[in-house]
Amino acid sequence: MNTSPRQITLDEWDVHYEALRAAGLREPPYGGPLRRHVERDSDLRLARLRFDNSPAALRLWNFLLTEEDRLQAARRDGTKIVGTMKDLGTVPVMAYSLPNVVAFYPDGAWWIPCVMELSDGLLGIANTLGVDESFCPVRAMLGAFLTEAHFPIPDLLICSAGATCDDFSAIAQRLNGLGYPILWWEIPSRRRPEAEEEAVDLPGGFTASRQQVDFVRAELERVRGALETLAGMPLTADRLAAGIRAANAVRRRFDELRRLVFSAERCPLPALELLIAEMLAIHFCSDREETIAVLDDLIAEVKRRIAAGQGVERAPASRESTCSLKQEPPTKVFWVNPVADLRVMNLLEDCGGRLCGTEFLFCHALDELPEDAPPMEALARAALADPMVGPATQRAERICRDAGRFGAEALILSRIPGASHCATEGEIIRGLVQERLGVPAVEIEVPPVSDSVAATLRSRIEALIETARERRCRCD
Amino acid sequence: MVCAGIDAGSRAIKVALMDSKGGKMLGSGVADQGVEQEALARRLFEDVLARAGIARNRVSRIVATGYGRNNVGFADTTITEITCHAVGVRHLVPDAMTIIEIGGQDSKLIRLNSRGAVQDFAMNDRCAAGTGCFLEMVARRLGISLSDLGQLAARSTKAAAISSMCAVFAETEIVGLLASGTAPEDIVAGVMTAVASRVAAMAGRTILPPVVFTGGVALIPRMAEALASVLKHPVSLSPEPQLTGAVGAAILASRK
Repeated sequence: MNTSPRQITLDEWDVHYEALRAAGLREPPYGGPLRRHVERDSDLRLARLRFDNSPAALRLWNFLLTEEDRLQAARRDGTKIVGTMKDLGTVPVMAYSLPNVVAFYPDGAWWIPCVMELSDGLLGIANTLGVDESFCPVRAMLGAFLTEAHFPIPDLLICSAGATCDDFSAIAQRLNGLGYPILWWEIPSRRRPEAEEEAVDLPGGFTASRQQVDFVRAELERVRGALETLAGMPLTADRLAAGIRAANAVRRRFDELRRLVFSAERCPLPALELLIAEMLAIHFCSDREETIAVLDDLIAEVKRRIAAGQGVERAPASRESTCSLKQEPPTKVFWVNPVADLRVMNLLEDCGGRLCGTEFLFCHALDELPEDAPPMEALARAALADPMVGPATQRAERICRDAGRFGAEALILSRIPGASHCATEGEIIRGLVQERLGVPAVEIEVPPVSDSVAATLRSRIEALIETARERRCRCD
Repeated sequence: MVCAGIDAGSRAIKVALMDSKGGKMLGSGVADQGVEQEALARRLFEDVLARAGIARNRVSRIVATGYGRNNVGFADTTITEITCHAVGVRHLVPDAMTIIEIGGQDSKLIRLNSRGAVQDFAMNDRCAAGTGCFLEMVARRLGISLSDLGQLAARSTKAAAISSMCAVFAETEIVGLLASGTAPEDIVAGVMTAVASRVAAMAGRTILPPVVFTGGVALIPRMAEALASVLKHPVSLSPEPQLTGAVGAAILASRK
């Protein structure tokens, strides 16, 4: 069954799903209609989203929304579960190098208040623990640990400390204080090497001093030791090298998917699905092999759409160019930081935009790990390439480079309420983007349920796109 | 033919009629906003047409803007108030480079390029302390009308320091100031400075003159002076400050 790409509601998916089934849709064991996540898990927000209508997108959503089932199955069959926090992409590569270990990010609970439209009460539990709304929504993780309703309690908890945001450290320390012991490892603030220091190239175009790389490698050796103890087997260099190659197989697919999506003449995948897909990079949604299958499906669908000249962009229903062009291609937007409310990603296409680049705080998890270096060295370099552990100016420089690569016409910086890492960096990124690329940029703040500010968020994005289109006319 | 702009703001609806070349204003009107936004906008639109002696079928195109723009169902299209204020102000003040717009519910700072197009913008729509509703609260608390705030502030010899960054806490602070005998005119002057400071915070370090002040709050005397004092730049009032969004919308309607 071949349908034109479109963004559809949950109600429309109900009908579409039956049609796909009747046409012979083949699904993995975790497949099924999206509706069941609302009815079974109270994922109420799904009823307010618009989804890509491809079977590949259906598989992506089902994969994402069944992670708890996989973790529970892992617990039942004796697989060791590692909860890793904050590093976003490095420790899972180590964990998945062991045959009897899976890893996930309890911090991912920050989306539960959105997905369940606050019905789960996780933020309320965090409040009672003294971690109120002045903290990042990651505080929902505390409630998830106490209720044990969203993931099994991990056998080992690992968290990076040091150059991480203050509020996250406070939340993780509170968790530790509640009786969930954490193995802390330190990530230093990345700095450019001094003149007399040996410089080491990192993924993403960054550099660090040899001393910093060695320090992180030593810290990761402690993590390695803890994983070996947990797994009851050595995490050998061969195992790590194989794990790195497997992670790179995933990362190469992301590179291909992003390149296809960002460079296609018509946008072949909505912003929401790309955000969800990129999230698989950091810990493979608890199944590395299935992540590859999900990505292969998405890539195939995107290629099919590109070949057919099809796109998902919506016609700008009520937005017209102020320079009298009747119909214009969507404005290419680079998006910085993930949104606490998934619904906001739908706004991009609503307002006449499309993605041409992203930096969702974990671009280092999309960069290939060096395979020509010893595994622990490669992991240390990757960990230091985290955009959040370096100066905001370095992050801004990478954003400028990436935004320029696919011709961004505008930039959206999404701020997360309470998150200390992005309290001041917005101005730095905006300033550099405007100076280097000359494109308009806007900052938005997105709470977990953004309905009360939906109109103002829409106004900002619309105004950004109007400004970019006016600039496009001048450039023409 | 005639083009129309409708600015459906949070406190007031504004309508402007322009000739289809976008050069001459043929009629305008302002009415209070309410729950039935579309009906109110339609009523005002028809009233302005009647007063201007223009038949409805002579209106070739309508653009709606403002916070309630999507509720104006009879408009042909919508454009944000950022773009509309930029076009409206630039039409009325051709050399404007920076626009400050303060309305009932939000405030905006818009930077223009040399061609008059929007270069960059910042909005405050999350905090009442930089908006007209802060001034409304003060007027209510002092028992005077909004339009009298300026005259009162003009009598101030020493503006009171309003240290609260939140309009809700500031109200408590104002009650305390009144209780301690601070003159109402000094309180009003202090509140105007507080609003201006909030707006200035959006501007950052770069202000490109000429700076033009528009929006409903620009109708309040002394507010432009408060802004100029905080920004350390001359601030001129836009002609027809309450109408610039509607004027811009009408001009954009004529550009189709």
